[in-house]
Amino acid sequence: MSNKNLEQLMKDLTENPLSDGSRLLVEMFDGENAVACIKVEEREEFPIYLTIDEGQILCITYLFGDDQVDPDQRTAMTEAMLILNVSIPLSAFSKIGSQYIMFGALSPTSSIDELLHEIELLSDNVLEAIEAMSDYLKEAA
Amino acid sequence: MSIFKKLITAVRGGATEVGEAIIDSQAIRILEQELRDSKVALDAAKTGLTAIMAEKMGVDRKVKDLKQKIKEHETYALQAMAKGDESLALDVANKIAEFEHDLNIQQGILEGYESKVSSLKTTIRQTERNIQAMDREVSVVKITQKVQKANDMAAAKFSGANSSLSSATASLERIKARQQKREDQATAALELESEDNGDDLQARLKNAGIVDSGSSASSILERLKKQKDKG
Repeated sequence: MSNKNLEQLMKDLTENPLSDGSRLLVEMFDGENAVACIKVEEREEFPIYLTIDEGQILCITYLFGDDQVDPDQRTAMTEAMLILNVSIPLSAFSKIGSQYIMFGALSPTSSIDELLHEIELLSDNVLEAIEAMSDYLKEAA
Repeated sequence: MSIFKKLITAVRGGATEVGEAIIDSQAIRILEQELRDSKVALDAAKTGLTAIMAEKMGVDRKVKDLKQKIKEHETYALQAMAKGDESLALDVANKIAEFEHDLNIQQGILEGYESKVSSLKTTIRQTERNIQAMDREVSVVKITQKVQKANDMAAAKFSGANSSLSSATASLERIKARQQKREDQATAALELESEDNGDDLQARLKNAGIVDSGSSASSILERLKKQKDKG
């Protein structure tokens, strides 16, 4: 049932642009139809992965891996992320394995407008976050 | 163990030392089993709650009924006393004592039900919270596994998740450069448009004779003469 919901969500997302007119490229990410991959036009580098279950809609974007973090700055960076977490609208930092992520969660009964708002904010937040964290990262190669 | 502690154990246990985000599939199987168990427990608790609430409603009715009867009989007793019929009043008082005894028992049962209902509700809330936390964790794991698989398969394609191919700051720079370019293009287009409009307007004003069709040599001489006269 949740897969069907995901498909419906994907359809709705494809048909609706963000408030600045950017379109979304939405595709099923896996064979089991459990994860959708959403790319905001012109920001394809940071795809948003979306799942839905009984409890929530979860949107995750991968920021960078441990290997990109300046080892001397690691503690300062995680501290900064913790402090920032409250101020970031609707999104929060987290970590999966060796990857730092940013995510947002919504009620599964959210409207398509709420989901679009979430995606838009998450996409903006990700760019802001990387900018803010760039001081703690190794120099870009 | 609290659900959050359990999740930390599951996730930590899976992350390997080289920093790969591989989550132990065994840990996930355990998590999924717990999720199933929790859902079964939740169903049982909900069924239990319904049954107890139904029984509680029955006792509730009995309590109300007894209270009503006591009130009634108190009136009877008063009426009997008013008529001076002491023995009738005593009989009624005996009846009231019986009712009150019964009421005490029923109220004890009711309290028992009430505390059971509240503890079941707490259990249900807690279980639902646990299920949500585990559901989310399973979602995270699913995404992680899929993203990793995709990265492994398409290592040549860039992706924000694949750090070895594209650093986050480099990706950000690319996006910002694209944005800047788009903004520049928009600005340029806007300027061009306003220039076009401006030219057009000047031409129309000239045609209409409102604006002088350019400074002519004679008009300049005229102006210079005036300046000279003043000076």
